[in-house]
Parts: sequence; structure tokens; C-alpha cells
Amino acid sequence: MGSQQLTREQLDSLAAEFRYVVTDAICRSGVGHIGGVMSLVEIVITLYYRIMKVKPEDPHWPERDRLVLSKGHAGPVVYTALAYKGFFPKDWLTTINKNGTRLPSHMDQILTPGVEITAGSLGQGLSCACGLALAAKHDSRKHRVFCIIGDGESDEGQIWEAGLFAGHNRLDNLIVICDYNKMQIDGRTDEIIDLEPLADKWRAFGWETFEMNGHDWDAIYDTIQKADAVSGRPSMIVTHTIKGKGNRETEGLVDCHNVKIPDETTYQRLMCGLECKFDLPY
Amino acid sequence: MGNYHELEMRVVYAQTLNELIARNPDVFCLEADLGKADASIPVVSQRHPRNFINCGVQEANMIGVGAGLAREGKIPFCSTFTAFATRRCYDQITISVAYANNNVKIVGTSPGITQGPNGGTHMCFQDHAIMRAMPNMHIYSPADAIELRAVMYHMADSRQPTYMQLVRPKMPKLFEEGDPFDPHQAKRLHDGRDVTLVATGFMTSFALEVARQLEKENIAVDLLHYPSIKPFDARTLVDSARRTGAVVTVENQNILGGLGSAVCEVLSEHHPVRVKRLGVPDRFGEVADQDYLFNKHGFGPDHIARACRELSNSKS
Repeated sequence: MGSQQLTREQLDSLAAEFRYVVTDAICRSGVGHIGGVMSLVEIVITLYYRIMKVKPEDPHWPERDRLVLSKGHAGPVVYTALAYKGFFPKDWLTTINKNGTRLPSHMDQILTPGVEITAGSLGQGLSCACGLALAAKHDSRKHRVFCIIGDGESDEGQIWEAGLFAGHNRLDNLIVICDYNKMQIDGRTDEIIDLEPLADKWRAFGWETFEMNGHDWDAIYDTIQKADAVSGRPSMIVTHTIKGKGNRETEGLVDCHNVKIPDETTYQRLMCGLECKFDLPY
Repeated sequence: MGNYHELEMRVVYAQTLNELIARNPDVFCLEADLGKADASIPVVSQRHPRNFINCGVQEANMIGVGAGLAREGKIPFCSTFTAFATRRCYDQITISVAYANNNVKIVGTSPGITQGPNGGTHMCFQDHAIMRAMPNMHIYSPADAIELRAVMYHMADSRQPTYMQLVRPKMPKLFEEGDPFDPHQAKRLHDGRDVTLVATGFMTSFALEVARQLEKENIAVDLLHYPSIKPFDARTLVDSARRTGAVVTVENQNILGGLGSAVCEVLSEHHPVRVKRLGVPDRFGEVADQDYLFNKHGFGPDHIARACRELSNSKS
């Protein structure tokens, strides 16, 4: 449990390894949401290795911090973190999206140890995170609720219902990270449904609002610490990221949302597009 | 102990919530700006303000907040009009509640024609049908204030996603305090061998009226009340159909997908007999009173009696 002191070099190496492993794991199922997984690697590592209190040997430890991945299609990056932290064996990662798996493409609180809330039908996870935060407030418990939403997901009306609700109920134990990679399935967010001015919208909803670079270790850590110190209102961290980050074949490309890997050639091309090569842990 | 049948059902709902919260502080009352209509304002909001959460006009968010609370061991009762409690947030209920198996209690108020003056936009005839098609969802429809209380105690004590219809006005007394509620058990309210009559919720008291009236015509109605549409007590129905050979169903719902459909599904597989389904024949609602809608759609006491006579006679 608890946070670990990792050097920047160790963090960089861990991020590269996560990207290598999660890409391999997704490729094994033939198709997957590589773009929105890669944009979250540094954020998820920071949460699980530097911020959140969790006990892998006791996933239901009452005092644990909660993470809700409302953009549930990025499940594989959280699965990678959970496996590396020891919630389940790393070889489970080879079963992502396979028949009978406990690691489905979208987050499932029943199947996967360490997953707090089932999510995938967009917009719903943030409401559930509000319920988790409200329960903690009601019981005067000190753990924090983190929630990651997508920018495309922010088109959903329910996100803004939850925004009003959390602001009104002063859920200052709720810290939300919006993965603002500025791309959704059909194109750039400013072409499909423009979210701007996104940070101002959350400010107007009564949230303490921050912006950060979602691939900068110090920025992520420092901003989350600032959000954690906020009192009397929920925190929104509008996080600027790059979809498909860390792979030449996907980085910054609109079409990397859900990538098909039909054959060995595509697999090799994707794996060669990554920055470093690692031994697979399974 | 009280004369609950002398109270509006919504007041019994709110008072019972107070009892449940006093007994178990994990019980919560969630509203979507209809707390005054449900009587939880002021009954619950004043007695247990910390367990009362008004989400505003946010039915989808209310279901999600309820799911999050349930994940932390709370037992949220989330209430609004049937239309908004089910069809408006159907995907939220499907994923955040039923699929995720979060222990949320959803309460749909003013079912079917009891919506009255709010008319077609608010009058929901499909909640039983759409909720019945959802795995891992129980569906209850209590018929009087005593049964409402028994159902609510069961809901608070069970770890089961549940939808309950709540008729808001007073309802005639049908049951005695202490009568058990078991979702797997239908209740026989009138014994007979000529025709089986199956009812639930708002329609059960009308069905009992008809059964008593037909007794005078020497037609013996076997009246089965189903406080639970899902799970559905198939055995009691099949046993009755074996005795009577004919079945009439009546519901304050579209005849597609609800109680009548459940009866037909069971009988067609286990003991096919003639069935007449009464209810709303696949139409939308409108601003109108009870008698107008009973007559228009053909499921008031006169229509129930006529159908029972016809099916009873058609056997001989």
C-alpha cells in the first residue's frame, strides 16, 4: 500500500513498459481501444504508484482510495496497473477480451479485483463516483474518490448532471480528471461537438478547476496534490493529453480510438512503433 | 401499528422509509424534485435530513448516485414518476444497477392511468414490460398500504436490485398486518374453480370486487394477486389453470410485455389454456380520468366481469 518513491527515470521506464505490455495484451484480442489507453498511462501510473492508498491483497479495504474509470473503454491501462500492483496475476492480461475473461474491454466491478465501478456506457461512471463520494462524506470517512472521464464522454448530458450535483453537494473528496486528448471516434472534438471553453464550464458549475499536461510527471503529481487540498468543492483537472501517445503508429491520430489488429504484420508494426522493447511479464 | 389503509399510499411510503432509516441508517431516500409529490418532503426530509438527497430534475444522475451509494453498502430508494423512473433512465438502470448488481431500489410513482391529469407525456404503460426484460431486476407491485410496507421491509433487507410501482392515493384494505411478502409467492384472494383471474398492484382491489360480484352469479373466480411480477410464481398459476381451465389477466399497463405476457409465457409452456388479457391495448396515455380510461381501453370492473363470464362459459 501507500505511495512509492520512484525516480523520473524509473517512472519513464515504467510508462514505456506499460505501453509495451498493454499494446501486446490488446493485440492478443485482435481489436482494442489503444488511443484512449495510451493517453492515460502517466496519469494511471501516478495515481496507483504515487497518490492512491490501496491494498492489492485486500481490494475491499475500507480506507482505500477509489478510482472510477468512467471512460470505461480504457480498462486495459487500469488492468495493467492493477496487475503490476498485484491485484491479480499479470498473465490475466493475456485474456483481455477473450471468452470467459475477467478483464473485459470495459470496466466491470463484479469480474475484476480492484475495479470499483462498472463503466462503459458513457456518462454513468461520474454519477456513480458522486455516490461513492457522498457515502464517504455521510460516514465521515477520509478516503478520496478519483474519477477519469473522457472528452468525448463529456458530450453526455449525464456528465453535466453529475457536475451540478457534485458542485451543489460540495463533494471535495471527489477529484475528476478529464482526459482531454481532443479526439473522439468520429473526429476531433472541436469538429464533432466543441467542448470549449471546457475549464470555464467546470468553473461555472462550482468546481475548483485546474489544467495540466497529462504526460508530465511533476505536473500530474503537483496538480493532483493541489486538488486534494481543495476544501468545500469538487475538483476538475482538465488534462491535456495526446491520444495514442508513445507509439509512432497511433500518436495523435484520430483513427487510433479502436484499432484492429487482424494479423501478425499489423501486430509487428504496432509493437515496433513503441519507444522501447521489454520482456513480456507473462 | 396503525390504520395504514386510511392514509395515502405515498404517506405510508414516506413513513415506512422513516422506520427503515431509524432501523438501519444505511437506508437513503433519493428524490428527483418530486419529494413533495411523494410525501418524502417533509416526512423524511425533516426526520432524517442526512439520509434525504434531492438530486433535482436529474433522473439519470439519481440512478448513478444511487449505484455509487449502494456500492458503499447503502440502500438507496430512488423515487420519481414511473415514466422517469424507468424509461427515461433505462440504460443507467441496466448498466449501473442491474448489470453491475448494485443494490438500488427504484420506485415508480403514479403508475399507468393513476397519473391522470398529467396525461400522455407522463402516463407510462410500459414500465413493467421494459423492467421485466432486464436481467437481475425484481419487480414488485403492492396492492394496499399493508402490503406496501411488507414489500418495503423486504426491499430494505434484501440485496437485490428492485423496481417497485407505488400508487400514491389511498387504496382499499386487502391485507392484514403481519401478512408475509414473498416475491416467489402469489396470493389467492378468492377461491374458485370456474375461471382464474390474475391481477397486480392498482388493479387487484377491482379484481376482488369483481370476484365477489360474480359469486352472486354462481361464477367462482380463483383470484390470484401477484405482488411480484418478477420473479413470477409459476406454480400457483399453473395449479389454478389446471383447476379452472381459463385465465383472465388485468393490469394497469400495456398488455404487451407485463403481467398478461408473463402469464401467457408460463401457461403456453406448462399448461396451455385460453387466456384473455385486459389492460391498455398498445396505446399511449392521455389526460383523462379513471373511468374514461377504463372504458376506452376495456379493463375496468365491468370489463373484467364480462371477460370472466365469457371465459367461464366458453368452457362448458
